[in-house]
Amino acid sequence: MAIDSYRFVDFATRQIMKAWAARQEPGEIPFTPLAKPLQECTVALVSTAGIARNDDRPFDQEGERRDPWWGDPSFRRIPLGTTEKDIRIYHLHIDPRFGEDDLDVVLPMRRLGELARDGMIGRPAPTHYSFMGYILETTELMEKTAPAIAASMREERVDAAVLVPV
Amino acid sequence: MPGLTRAVGVPRLAGIGYPMSRPLGRPHDRDGQRAVLRATLELLEAATRPDHYVELPFQWPETVAQARNASKGVPPAPIAALLYRQPWLIPRLYSGRIPTLP
Repeated sequence: MAIDSYRFVDFATRQIMKAWAARQEPGEIPFTPLAKPLQECTVALVSTAGIARNDDRPFDQEGERRDPWWGDPSFRRIPLGTTEKDIRIYHLHIDPRFGEDDLDVVLPMRRLGELARDGMIGRPAPTHYSFMGYILETTELMEKTAPAIAASMREERVDAAVLVPV
Repeated sequence: MPGLTRAVGVPRLAGIGYPMSRPLGRPHDRDGQRAVLRATLELLEAATRPDHYVELPFQWPETVAQARNASKGVPPAPIAALLYRQPWLIPRLYSGRIPTLP
Protein backbone atom coordinates (compact mmCIF):
# COMPACT_ATOMS: atom_id res chain seq x y z
CA MET A 1 0.00 0.00 0.00
CA ALA A 2 1.71 3.16 -1.23
CA ILE A 3 -0.85 5.60 0.20
CA ASP A 4 -0.21 6.69 3.77
CA SER A 5 -3.75 6.27 5.09
CA TYR A 6 -3.11 8.35 8.17
CA ARG A 7 -1.04 11.17 6.62
CA PHE A 8 -3.42 13.96 7.51
CA VAL A 9 -4.37 12.91 11.06
CA ASP A 10 -2.56 13.65 14.31
CA PHE A 11 -0.21 11.19 16.01
CA ALA A 12 -2.71 9.90 18.56
CA THR A 13 -5.41 9.27 15.95
CA ARG A 14 -2.89 7.53 13.71
CA GLN A 15 -1.89 5.14 16.49
CA ILE A 16 -5.49 4.33 17.38
CA MET A 17 -6.55 3.79 13.74
CA LYS A 18 -3.56 1.50 13.17
CA ALA A 19 -4.43 -0.49 16.29
CA TRP A 20 -8.04 -0.86 15.11
CA ALA A 21 -6.92 -1.94 11.63
CA ALA A 22 -4.57 -4.54 13.12
CA ARG A 23 -7.38 -5.97 15.24
CA GLN A 24 -9.87 -6.56 12.41
CA GLU A 25 -10.70 -10.10 11.43
CA PRO A 26 -12.78 -9.69 8.28
CA GLY A 27 -13.36 -13.38 7.64
CA GLU A 28 -14.97 -14.13 4.31
CA ILE A 29 -15.45 -10.96 2.27
CA PRO A 30 -18.70 -10.86 0.28
CA PHE A 31 -18.48 -10.27 -3.45
CA THR A 32 -21.25 -9.98 -6.02
CA PRO A 33 -20.19 -9.50 -9.64
CA LEU A 34 -22.11 -6.87 -11.61
CA ALA A 35 -25.17 -8.52 -13.15
CA LYS A 36 -25.23 -6.21 -16.17
CA PRO A 37 -23.00 -3.66 -17.90
CA LEU A 38 -22.20 -0.61 -15.77
CA GLN A 39 -23.85 1.69 -18.32
CA GLU A 40 -27.17 -0.01 -17.54
CA CYS A 41 -26.78 0.00 -13.74
CA THR A 42 -28.71 2.03 -11.17
CA VAL A 43 -26.18 3.29 -8.62
CA ALA A 44 -26.77 4.46 -5.04
CA LEU A 45 -24.39 6.34 -2.75
CA VAL A 46 -23.87 5.84 0.99
CA SER A 47 -21.94 8.47 2.95
CA THR A 48 -20.69 8.19 6.52
CA ALA A 49 -20.78 11.97 7.02
CA GLY A 50 -23.96 11.83 9.11
CA ILE A 51 -26.02 13.88 6.64
CA ALA A 52 -29.66 14.61 7.46
CA ARG A 53 -32.11 16.79 5.60
CA ASN A 54 -33.36 19.82 7.49
CA ASP A 55 -36.92 18.45 7.25
CA ASP A 56 -35.78 15.11 8.73
CA ARG A 57 -34.77 14.01 12.23
CA PRO A 58 -31.23 15.18 13.17
CA PHE A 59 -28.63 12.60 14.19
CA ASP A 60 -28.22 12.41 17.97
CA GLN A 61 -25.17 14.53 18.66
CA GLU A 62 -26.23 15.15 22.26
CA GLY A 63 -26.30 11.41 22.93
CA GLU A 64 -22.69 11.16 21.80
CA ARG A 65 -21.70 14.17 23.87
CA ARG A 66 -23.28 12.54 26.95
CA ASP A 67 -21.55 9.22 26.24
CA PRO A 68 -18.54 9.73 23.94
CA TRP A 69 -18.20 5.95 23.50
CA TRP A 70 -21.57 5.92 21.73
CA GLY A 71 -22.42 6.91 18.14
CA ASP A 72 -25.92 7.22 16.66
CA PRO A 73 -26.36 4.02 14.56
CA SER A 74 -29.45 5.14 12.62
CA PHE A 75 -29.54 6.26 8.98
CA ARG A 76 -31.20 8.91 6.86
CA ARG A 77 -32.51 8.85 3.31
CA ILE A 78 -31.22 11.59 1.05
CA PRO A 79 -33.39 11.91 -2.05
CA LEU A 80 -31.65 12.67 -5.34
CA GLY A 81 -31.68 16.42 -5.93
CA THR A 82 -30.99 17.27 -2.30
CA THR A 83 -28.33 19.97 -2.09
CA GLU A 84 -26.16 21.50 0.61
CA LYS A 85 -28.92 24.07 1.20
CA ASP A 86 -31.26 21.28 2.39
CA ILE A 87 -29.01 19.43 4.85
CA ARG A 88 -26.76 19.51 7.88
CA ILE A 89 -23.78 17.27 8.61
CA TYR A 90 -23.79 15.78 12.12
CA HIS A 91 -20.60 13.66 12.24
CA LEU A 92 -18.63 15.06 15.20
CA HIS A 93 -15.22 13.74 14.09
CA ILE A 94 -14.85 15.62 10.81
CA ASP A 95 -14.94 19.20 9.63
CA PRO A 96 -18.54 19.50 8.42
CA ARG A 97 -18.00 22.82 6.67
CA PHE A 98 -16.63 21.35 3.43
CA GLY A 99 -19.65 19.13 2.82
CA GLU A 100 -22.07 21.83 3.95
CA ASP A 101 -20.43 24.15 1.42
CA ASP A 102 -20.61 21.55 -1.38
CA LEU A 103 -22.48 18.33 -0.66
CA ASP A 104 -20.70 16.52 -3.50
CA VAL A 105 -17.54 16.49 -1.37
CA VAL A 106 -19.13 13.80 0.84
CA LEU A 107 -22.14 12.59 -1.21
CA PRO A 108 -21.49 13.13 -4.93
CA MET A 109 -25.04 12.93 -6.27
CA ARG A 110 -24.57 15.68 -8.87
CA ARG A 111 -21.34 14.12 -10.14
CA LEU A 112 -23.14 10.77 -10.35
CA GLY A 113 -25.84 12.43 -12.44
CA GLU A 114 -23.20 13.86 -14.75
CA LEU A 115 -21.61 10.42 -15.21
CA ALA A 116 -25.07 9.04 -16.04
CA ARG A 117 -25.49 11.75 -18.68
CA ASP A 118 -22.02 10.82 -20.03
CA GLY A 119 -23.26 7.24 -20.36
CA MET A 120 -20.92 5.70 -17.80
CA ILE A 121 -23.75 4.42 -15.58
CA GLY A 122 -27.46 3.89 -16.24
CA ARG A 123 -28.90 6.28 -13.68
CA PRO A 124 -28.48 7.47 -10.11
CA ALA A 125 -30.90 5.83 -7.68
CA PRO A 126 -33.84 7.98 -6.58
CA THR A 127 -32.61 7.70 -2.96
CA HIS A 128 -29.14 7.83 -1.37
CA TYR A 129 -28.19 7.24 2.27
CA SER A 130 -26.08 8.47 5.16
CA PHE A 131 -25.13 7.33 8.62
CA MET A 132 -22.56 8.42 11.18
CA GLY A 133 -18.92 7.45 10.71
CA TYR A 134 -18.20 7.01 14.42
CA ILE A 135 -19.99 3.95 15.79
CA LEU A 136 -17.79 1.82 18.02
CA GLU A 137 -20.55 -0.58 19.03
CA THR A 138 -21.75 -1.85 15.68
CA THR A 139 -24.50 -4.35 16.57
CA GLU A 140 -27.44 -2.10 15.63
CA LEU A 141 -25.62 -0.78 12.56
CA MET A 142 -24.99 -4.32 11.30
CA GLU A 143 -28.28 -5.91 12.34
CA LYS A 144 -30.78 -3.11 11.68
CA THR A 145 -29.37 -0.16 9.78
CA ALA A 146 -27.43 -1.93 7.03
CA PRO A 147 -30.24 -4.44 6.24
CA ALA A 148 -32.79 -1.59 6.14
CA ILE A 149 -30.64 0.35 3.68
CA ALA A 150 -30.14 -2.79 1.57
CA ALA A 151 -33.89 -3.47 1.53
CA SER A 152 -34.60 0.10 0.44
CA MET A 153 -32.04 -0.26 -2.36
CA ARG A 154 -33.63 -3.49 -3.51
CA GLU A 155 -37.03 -1.77 -3.65
CA GLU A 156 -35.53 0.85 -5.93
CA ARG A 157 -33.81 -1.83 -8.04
CA VAL A 158 -30.31 -0.58 -7.25
CA ASP A 159 -27.58 -2.60 -8.97
CA ALA A 160 -24.50 -1.16 -7.27
CA ALA A 161 -23.75 0.88 -4.14
CA VAL A 162 -20.77 3.16 -3.62
CA LEU A 163 -19.82 3.75 0.01
CA VAL A 164 -18.11 7.03 0.75
CA PRO A 165 -16.28 6.87 4.10
CA VAL A 166 -15.40 10.39 5.16
CA MET B 1 -8.18 5.94 5.36
CA PRO B 2 -7.92 3.01 2.96
CA GLY B 3 -5.77 1.02 5.39
CA LEU B 4 -8.55 0.86 7.95
CA THR B 5 -11.28 0.25 5.35
CA ARG B 6 -9.32 -2.58 3.77
CA ALA B 7 -8.69 -4.17 7.16
CA VAL B 8 -12.45 -4.34 7.72
CA GLY B 9 -12.79 -6.35 4.50
CA VAL B 10 -14.74 -4.87 1.57
CA PRO B 11 -15.47 -6.31 -1.89
CA ARG B 12 -13.84 -3.46 -3.82
CA LEU B 13 -11.85 -0.50 -2.56
CA ALA B 14 -10.56 2.63 -4.25
CA GLY B 15 -7.90 4.08 -1.94
CA ILE B 16 -7.27 7.81 -2.03
CA GLY B 17 -4.76 9.91 -0.11
CA TYR B 18 -7.13 12.77 0.67
CA PRO B 19 -7.74 14.23 4.14
CA MET B 20 -10.77 13.28 6.23
CA SER B 21 -13.91 15.33 5.58
CA ARG B 22 -13.12 15.70 1.86
CA PRO B 23 -13.10 12.24 0.29
CA LEU B 24 -14.14 13.45 -3.19
CA GLY B 25 -11.87 16.48 -3.19
CA ARG B 26 -12.19 20.21 -2.64
CA PRO B 27 -15.55 21.97 -2.58
CA HIS B 28 -16.66 23.20 -6.02
CA ASP B 29 -13.87 21.29 -7.83
CA ARG B 30 -16.35 19.55 -10.12
CA ASP B 31 -13.78 18.12 -12.51
CA GLY B 32 -11.67 16.73 -9.66
CA GLN B 33 -14.68 15.22 -7.89
CA ARG B 34 -15.97 13.66 -11.10
CA ALA B 35 -12.55 12.13 -11.84
CA VAL B 36 -12.47 10.52 -8.37
CA LEU B 37 -16.00 9.14 -8.73
CA ARG B 38 -15.37 7.93 -12.28
CA ALA B 39 -12.20 6.08 -11.22
CA THR B 40 -14.08 4.55 -8.27
CA LEU B 41 -16.98 3.36 -10.43
CA GLU B 42 -14.52 1.71 -12.82
CA LEU B 43 -13.78 -0.83 -10.08
CA LEU B 44 -17.31 -2.19 -10.36
CA GLU B 45 -16.44 -3.74 -13.71
CA ALA B 46 -12.70 -4.26 -13.18
CA ALA B 47 -12.94 -6.31 -9.99
CA THR B 48 -13.34 -10.06 -10.32
CA ARG B 49 -12.80 -11.18 -6.74
CA PRO B 50 -13.24 -9.80 -3.19
CA ASP B 51 -10.65 -7.45 -1.65
CA HIS B 52 -9.96 -5.88 -5.05
CA TYR B 53 -7.85 -2.84 -4.14
CA VAL B 54 -6.77 0.02 -6.37
CA GLU B 55 -4.94 3.16 -5.31
CA LEU B 56 -6.21 6.19 -7.16
CA PRO B 57 -3.44 8.42 -8.54
CA PHE B 58 -4.84 11.72 -7.29
CA GLN B 59 -2.63 13.91 -5.07
CA TRP B 60 -4.02 16.32 -2.49
CA PRO B 61 -2.93 19.80 -3.61
CA GLU B 62 -1.95 21.05 -0.14
CA THR B 63 0.64 20.17 2.47
CA VAL B 64 -0.42 18.33 5.64
CA ALA B 65 -0.08 21.58 7.58
CA GLN B 66 -2.27 23.46 5.12
CA ALA B 67 -4.92 20.74 5.15
CA ARG B 68 -4.98 20.71 8.96
CA ASN B 69 -5.04 24.49 9.20
CA ALA B 70 -8.14 24.54 7.02
CA SER B 71 -9.98 22.80 9.87
CA LYS B 72 -8.58 24.88 12.70
CA GLY B 73 -11.24 25.85 15.18
CA VAL B 74 -13.32 22.70 14.73
CA PRO B 75 -14.06 21.41 18.25
CA PRO B 76 -12.48 18.06 19.17
CA ALA B 77 -14.71 14.99 18.96
CA PRO B 78 -16.35 14.13 22.29
CA ILE B 79 -14.17 11.02 22.70
CA ALA B 80 -11.00 13.08 22.10
CA ALA B 81 -12.09 15.65 24.69
CA LEU B 82 -12.88 12.87 27.18
CA LEU B 83 -9.53 11.15 26.72
CA TYR B 84 -7.73 14.46 27.12
CA ARG B 85 -9.40 14.81 30.52
CA GLN B 86 -9.11 11.12 31.46
CA PRO B 87 -6.05 9.77 29.64
CA TRP B 88 -6.13 6.53 31.63
CA LEU B 89 -9.06 5.52 29.39
CA ILE B 90 -6.91 5.63 26.25
CA PRO B 91 -6.02 1.91 26.40
CA ARG B 92 -9.74 1.15 26.21
CA LEU B 93 -10.02 2.93 22.89
CA TYR B 94 -6.91 1.18 21.59
CA SER B 95 -8.17 -2.23 22.56
CA GLY B 96 -11.82 -1.72 21.63
CA ARG B 97 -13.07 -2.54 25.15
CA ILE B 98 -15.91 -0.06 25.08
CA PRO B 99 -17.33 0.92 28.46
CA THR B 100 -21.11 0.91 28.63
CA LEU B 101 -22.88 3.48 30.73
CA PRO B 102 -25.08 2.12 33.51
